[in-house]
Amino acid sequence: MSRAAHAPSASTKRAGEDDDICPVCKSSRYLNRYMHFLVNPECYHKMCESCVDRIFSHGPAPCPIAGCKKTLRKARFRTQTFEDLKVEREVDIRRRVAKAMNKEETDFETLRDYNDYLEEVEEITWNLILKVDVEQTERRLRRFEEAQKAELNPNAVRRSVDAGPDTSTLSETSHVILKKGGAQRKAQNVPSGNMPIPEDETGFSFRGLKKRKAPEPEKVFDPTSGWSVDPTYYNVKDEYDHKFFAVKHEPRFYAFGYKAPEYYSHALRDAFGGLGVFLEDDRTSEEMDFGTQAAAIAVGGGRDVDMNDVF
Amino acid sequence: MGMSPALSPRPNPPGSNAPANAAKARPLVHLLNHKTVPSPSLASTATTPGGPDEGLAEEMNDVVKNQFVFGSRLGEGTYATVYRGHYRDDPSKLVAIKKMKKNAEWQDGINLDSLREMKYLAELHHPHVINLIAVFTTKDENINLVLEHLPRGELQDLWQDKSIAYGGADVKAWANMICQAVWWIHENFVLHRDIKSNNILIAADNSLKLADFGLARSFANPEADMTYNVITRFYRPPELFLGSSHYGGCVDMWSVGCVIAELACREFFIFSETDLQHLVRICDVFGVPTEAEWPGISKLRFWQEQLENSPPKRPQPMSWWRNKMPLIGDAGIDLVKGLLAMDPAKRLDAKQALAHHYWTTAPKPQKRENLPGKGGKAAEKAMGEQLKRVGPEADEEKMSKIARKLDFGAMR
Repeated sequence: MSRAAHAPSASTKRAGEDDDICPVCKSSRYLNRYMHFLVNPECYHKMCESCVDRIFSHGPAPCPIAGCKKTLRKARFRTQTFEDLKVEREVDIRRRVAKAMNKEETDFETLRDYNDYLEEVEEITWNLILKVDVEQTERRLRRFEEAQKAELNPNAVRRSVDAGPDTSTLSETSHVILKKGGAQRKAQNVPSGNMPIPEDETGFSFRGLKKRKAPEPEKVFDPTSGWSVDPTYYNVKDEYDHKFFAVKHEPRFYAFGYKAPEYYSHALRDAFGGLGVFLEDDRTSEEMDFGTQAAAIAVGGGRDVDMNDVF
Repeated sequence: MGMSPALSPRPNPPGSNAPANAAKARPLVHLLNHKTVPSPSLASTATTPGGPDEGLAEEMNDVVKNQFVFGSRLGEGTYATVYRGHYRDDPSKLVAIKKMKKNAEWQDGINLDSLREMKYLAELHHPHVINLIAVFTTKDENINLVLEHLPRGELQDLWQDKSIAYGGADVKAWANMICQAVWWIHENFVLHRDIKSNNILIAADNSLKLADFGLARSFANPEADMTYNVITRFYRPPELFLGSSHYGGCVDMWSVGCVIAELACREFFIFSETDLQHLVRICDVFGVPTEAEWPGISKLRFWQEQLENSPPKRPQPMSWWRNKMPLIGDAGIDLVKGLLAMDPAKRLDAKQALAHHYWTTAPKPQKRENLPGKGGKAAEKAMGEQLKRVGPEADEEKMSKIARKLDFGAMR
């Protein structure tokens, strides 16, 4: 939003520059062809770029417009987007509220609850725009933001609580706050009487809000996805003392990539393959219609068993 | 060819999905029995043509057949045509139907690679092995394999498509799925013998599925000789180039290592024009194996011709590996080197690979839903292309001719 103030060409006339006289230095476009007005969202008082440079270059200073005591910082000055400063301000406020109160319809259980929430958002927005109960509304908004932050990231909030109380409430003070550090020191001196806010004043306990579920902790990666084929009926030994298993010592096996343990477990699996499997448990009702008993037994018992196996 | 896992000691899959899988495979097993592998106890009743059981077999076949509806054609090859299809009662459940063609060489019976494919896929059920849902015949006696619908193409397209960016976590997730699949088939004593990145398909949920069991076989008994003319050249381990006739799961593990390396460096890891050249290329990376590093190597059939007199060569240093595959880190390189150990006895088997510390070191494997990939028509077409690919039978024949022509003298 805040665009860097390049020297604008005289031909492009910006919104809100029709009066062409700076209210602070009374300079006019006649005297300064490249005059360019800026506003600060703190008070929306308009002044020319050279005034901003002159007054605020050395740090925060009070607004030079008579009767306005807001402390302004140079960094926050920007070119106004809308011609009407009221619109500019409303857009700023709406943007701020929308950023804080960003619940969506899916966060609520019913449409009714969502609509109630939207009404609340609108109420806060208009309170801020029309400056009704500003202090209380601000507090409500802030509490809401905090609650939401706590919901999203409990650890971060715990840390910020440890770091000290929020300082932003002090921007209303009439004198110039020079440094943030100073503000923080000041904040600690403020009697803590006005810090705790009664629960009923928070105003962000929306009805029908769905409970946010924390994502499940990630499981430890299992390279086998939990599958296993450990034998139930036998143990495979590393070595079998039988002339048939001499494969282990002959180079034409071990050098060629033939592994005796693979052979052992294969042979044992062949021998014990069908044990503990009951056809009746395995068959589903639709299969009962086909596949005769004989066929099923053939599948389980007779097929493919290598009769050369010593087992 | 010992076991029928449909009835083997119940594997312990997570949850309770295994019995369901096992149940699905049942009609297929019946059909197989009826058509191809008459077992002694069935012979009396079921297999005589025109016998009393003929009607029952027809009926069973029709019931299976009627469950599926053929859709558009995805691809056609010499050995098979692949159609998209779906369940009759639920059009949203897609399948791929691979219709095997009858060919001149195999007038009688089923051709060998479709038989292998049916035999092993019917028995293997794992989330990372392509699921054979059913088998039926149509009236012209064509065999139709109803396979899982895997719409997202091959793994090879993924690393070859430079518009897809992926990182170490993605490689880890893919590598793990491949290792799981291979672990499962080895645990059930099936050798795949053609693992390569275009035999690995990607499902709609981004999980990888090992496909094409046309060259698969069961672990052999010690006295049986096996052919060494298997596995696509880029993925073939050195012992097969040296003519090993007795091998085990380690040949597949070498291929797995190649696939993971390929994913990590996004090019074929070791590539060559000819079989002869390939062993040289392997030695360029891993050094020339000696009797000390690979006990018993001199007993291999082609060792004398190929390696005995070749000048000694050192393996590539770690810096070469780090430079080549920065995606997987030192732990990943350790795994790949373990899988690509020259001596098959020292090579990691699938179980050891799954116990490797690569899986538990950072970064965590990518969650399945976040894995990059491509979808849409092109990828589905790729599935068709892959499934219909010329059967390995033809490849094998070609290879055997090459093998006879090998001139080992040229190596010196």
